[in-house]
Amino acid sequence: MAAARPGFASATGAPATDREAAVPPAAWIGALVLLFLPAIASDFFLVQVFGWALILGTIALSLQFLAGYGGMVSLVQMTVAGFAGYMVAILGTSGLAQISLGWPFWLAVPAAILLAVLFGTLSGALAVRTAGIYTIVITLAIAAAFFYFTRQNETVFGGFLGFNGVRAPVFWGIDWRSPVPFYYLCLAWAAIAWGLVVWVIRAPFGLALQGIRDNPRRMAALGFDVTAHRIAAYAFAAFLAAPAGILLTWLNGQIAPGTVGIGPVIDVLVIAVVGGLGRPIGPFIGALLYVLLRIFALDALVALGLSGQRFQLLIGLGFLVTVLFSPDGILGLWERARRRRAATAAAGTAGGR
Amino acid sequence: MATAIAERLSATGTVNALELRGVTKQFGALVALSDVTLSVRPGERRAILGSNGAGKTTLLNCITGDFPASSGTIRFFGEDVTRFPAHERIRRGLRRTYQISLLFGGLSVLDNVYLACLGVSRGRFSLLRPKRDDALLESARTLVHAVHLDAVAERRVAELAHGQQRQLEVALALAGAPRFLLFDEPAAGLSPAERSDLVAILNGLPAHMGFIIIEHDMDVALRVVESVTLMHEGRIFKEGTPEEIEADPEVQELYLGHGHG
Amino acid sequence: MIARSGPDGGGVEGAGRGVLGWIERRPLAALLLALAVVLLLWLVLADWPDEVERWLGRKRVFVSALFNGITLGGLYFLVATGFTLIFGLMRNVNLAHGSLYLFGGYLGYTTVQATGLWLPAFVVAFVLVAIAGLLLQTLVFRHMEGEELRQTLVTIGLSIVFADLMLWVWGGDFYQIPTPEWLAGPVELPIVLDVRPNGEPIYLRYPRVRLVIFAASVVIGVLLWLAINRTRVGMLIRAGVDDREMLAASGVPIQLLFALVFAFGAGLAGMAGVVGGTFQSISPGEDTRFLLASLVVVIVGGLGSIPGAALGALLIGLAEQFGSVYLPTYAIVFSFLVMVLVLAFRPQGLLAMR
Repeated sequence: MAAARPGFASATGAPATDREAAVPPAAWIGALVLLFLPAIASDFFLVQVFGWALILGTIALSLQFLAGYGGMVSLVQMTVAGFAGYMVAILGTSGLAQISLGWPFWLAVPAAILLAVLFGTLSGALAVRTAGIYTIVITLAIAAAFFYFTRQNETVFGGFLGFNGVRAPVFWGIDWRSPVPFYYLCLAWAAIAWGLVVWVIRAPFGLALQGIRDNPRRMAALGFDVTAHRIAAYAFAAFLAAPAGILLTWLNGQIAPGTVGIGPVIDVLVIAVVGGLGRPIGPFIGALLYVLLRIFALDALVALGLSGQRFQLLIGLGFLVTVLFSPDGILGLWERARRRRAATAAAGTAGGR
Repeated sequence: MATAIAERLSATGTVNALELRGVTKQFGALVALSDVTLSVRPGERRAILGSNGAGKTTLLNCITGDFPASSGTIRFFGEDVTRFPAHERIRRGLRRTYQISLLFGGLSVLDNVYLACLGVSRGRFSLLRPKRDDALLESARTLVHAVHLDAVAERRVAELAHGQQRQLEVALALAGAPRFLLFDEPAAGLSPAERSDLVAILNGLPAHMGFIIIEHDMDVALRVVESVTLMHEGRIFKEGTPEEIEADPEVQELYLGHGHG
Repeated sequence: MIARSGPDGGGVEGAGRGVLGWIERRPLAALLLALAVVLLLWLVLADWPDEVERWLGRKRVFVSALFNGITLGGLYFLVATGFTLIFGLMRNVNLAHGSLYLFGGYLGYTTVQATGLWLPAFVVAFVLVAIAGLLLQTLVFRHMEGEELRQTLVTIGLSIVFADLMLWVWGGDFYQIPTPEWLAGPVELPIVLDVRPNGEPIYLRYPRVRLVIFAASVVIGVLLWLAINRTRVGMLIRAGVDDREMLAASGVPIQLLFALVFAFGAGLAGMAGVVGGTFQSISPGEDTRFLLASLVVVIVGGLGSIPGAALGALLIGLAEQFGSVYLPTYAIVFSFLVMVLVLAFRPQGLLAMR
C-alpha cells in the first residue's frame, strides 16, 4: 500500500515534496464555510452531521497520524476515545449516580484525558513490541478485550447499558450542550488536532517518526530509540483522540459498550482509509462522507426497495472499492485528477507552440 | 578476567576502541561468526578482508547491535556494550555505513544528514521546529560540505546518482562526534574517480577517528588502513600489516588470487 | 531490502525435532512444565482431599471445565490453523477468516436441514468454503502480493460485506446443527468424580460428540503436521514460509501453491463452522467472535506456526472455560489476559521460530 504513504515532511525547509506549497484556496474556502456554518445550517446539520463528522474525523485523524507517519495501523484509537468517554462518565456526573463520582467538569475532563492517554500509551507499548502487519492484529485484540470488559463489568463500567445522562457542562455563561456552542467545541478541537499533526510532522519528533516508518533499522543506527518513538507516537495519538471521545459521549449523551464495539473500531479505520491516509485532512473527508451515508443511505436504500439493514453492505462495498481501486483514498483520487489536469494543460501549451 | 584487564587498561589510558572476545553469531543452525576475538586501538584504521560469506558484514552487525551476538562480549572504549541496543551504542560514538544504501529516499540530502545529527543530539523528541540558524542544521550543512555534496543538498535522495548516495552514507556516519566508524563496502559500484574521492575523504578524517573498513577493492582498502584482518568462514584467519598480508602466500591462494570473490 | 526486525513469522516448524534441544536449553522451564502436567494428571485421577476441594471447589466442576476447555481448544485449533497457515505462507492477515467460519456453519446447517445427514455437511462446508477461498486468492489477493496492509484492508472490507450478505440470506436467528443420533448422549469415562456414601464411585459422563470432534481435530492436526513435515508439498510450504524469494526462484508453480493453501485454510475454517454449529450455535456475530479467538490464539502461539496454533488454542480454550467457572464475570477478559502476558514477555508468541 505504498501509494497511500505520505511523503516526508521536511524539517530543514528543503522542498522535498510538492506538498510544501502554500495552503490551496479550497482549504481557505472550506475553513470559512466551517467557521460561518451556524449562520446557514440547521441545528440538525450543525450537530448531527458536522459535529459528528468532526468528532469521528478527529478520532480517525489519530489513526491517520499513526498509520501515515508512523507506519502503524492502530485499531485501538476508537477504544482510546471511548475510554476517555467512560472516564468522564465515571469521574463526572451521569445518570448512574451510584458509580459516577460527580467531580466538576474542570477536574473530570483533564483527568479523563490524562487516563485515556495513559491507556493509549500502554496499548501502544504492547503493540510496538512487534512491528508491521502484526500491529493490526494486536490492536484489534486489545480493542475487543476492552469492549468485552466494559460489557461484563457492572461495578465500574456499568455493564451492558453503560452510562446515560452524560452532558456537556455549562460555563462562562454558555450552555455547551446547545447546538451552536457544541458545534464550535467540536470544530475547535478538530482544528487544534489537525494543526498539532501538521506541526508535529515537521518537528524533529515527527521527522524521526517518519524515518522510523521508512527504515527503522537505519534510524536505530543513527542513534534513535525506535521503540520509544513509536510509543510516544501512540501517546500523542491518544491525546488527539481522547477529547474527541469526550465530545462523542456528550453528543450522544451516553457511553456504552456499543460505542467501543468491533463495528465502530473498524468504522474509524474505514473512515481514515476512504478519506486517505496520506494527509491529515483525509480522515475528515472520510468522516463527512461516512456520516452523510449513515444518515441518508437508509432512506436511499429503502427507496430502492432494500432493507435499511443493508447499510453495512454499502459501507463494506465502498471500502472495498476504495482499497482495490484507489488505495490512497478520495484524497489520492483527487490529487491524481489534479495532476492529470495539470499534465494535460502542460501538454496543451507544449502542443500549441 | 576480561573485565579486570579492561579496567586496568582504561586506568592506564590505553583502553582499546573495540575489544571483541569470543563473539559468535548463529542464525538457527548456521554459524555465521565463530569465536571472533579482535581488538582495535583508538585511531587505528583496519581493513577486514574475506570472500563473500566470510562473516564480515555479520561482524559489523554484531558490533553495532543491528543483530545482537549469540555469545561473547563486545567492549567499546572499555564499556561492555554487548547487551546494549543499537541506538545506545551509536550514542556512545560508534557509527556505521551500510553496504546496500539505507537512506531516506523521500527526503532531501540535507534532511537525511539533519536526521543523523538529530539522532545523536538531545532534541530527538523535540516538538519545536528548527530555525534557519539551528545548530543541528549548521552541523548538517558542514557535513554535506565535507562529503562534497553541497550542489545537491536540497535534492531528494532518490534522485541522486549511486556514487552520491554512497557519499551521503559516509556523511550520515560522520554526524555528531563519532569515536569509531565501521564502513561496509563504501566503494562498491563507484567509478574510479569517485573511488579516489572516497579515499581522499577517508584519509581526511581526523587522526583520532579510527575505523574498520570492509572493502573488496584493494586499491581503496590498502590505501587507507594500517592493519588488515582476514576472515574466512566466520573466523579470523590472519592479521597483519597490509604489506604482510599482500606478501602471504596462503592469503594469495585463498583470497587475493580469486579477485573479487 | 533488509528483512524487518519484526516477527519473522517463524514457521510451520517441525515440533518433534526441537523438543529435546528445548529441554536442554531451558531445563527449568521443562521441569516446571513436567510438574504442571503431573499435577494436572493427579487432579484428574486422584480422589480429592478436602484441602483441594476447599481451594478448587468440587472435582466435578473442575474436571468438566478442563474437558470443556480442551475440546473448545480443539475447535479453536481448527479455526486458527487455517488462519496461521495462510499468514505463514502468504503474509496475508485474513481478517475475513471469521466470515469463512460462519459461512461454513450456515452451509452445514442448510445441508443438515436438507438431507438430515451430519457427515456430508462437513464435506459440503469444506468444499464450498474452500472454493470461496480459492476465488479470493486467485481473483483478489494474487494481484496485490507483497502489499500486506492492502490485503488486510481488503479482508476487512470483505468481512463487512460477507457479514451483511449472510445476514441477508440466513437472517438473524440462532441455529444449532443437531447432533446425529449415533453421537448423541454422554459417554462414561473411567474418571472418578466422587464417591457415593455407599462406596459406589461416580464416573465422569461427557458428551460423546465433543470427544469425537476433539479426537478428529487432533487427527487433523497430526495429519497436517505430517503433511507439512513429510511431503513434498509440505516441504515447499515450509520453504516458502522461510524464504519466499528462494521458492519463487526454484521454479515451483508458486501461485498454484498459494491458491491451494488458501483454499485448504478456508476449507478448514468452513469445517470448523459445522463443528461450532454442533457444539454451540451459529448466528450473526459469531464471525467476529471466532476471528478474535483466532487472533488471540495465534498471537499466543506465534503467528505462522501450526504447533503454536495448537498450543495457543489449548491455552485459550482452557483460560476461557476455567475463567467462566472460577471468575464468571471476567471469563472472556481472562483469555485476553493470557494474550497480554504473552505479548509483554514473548511478543513473537510462544512457539514462534525467532
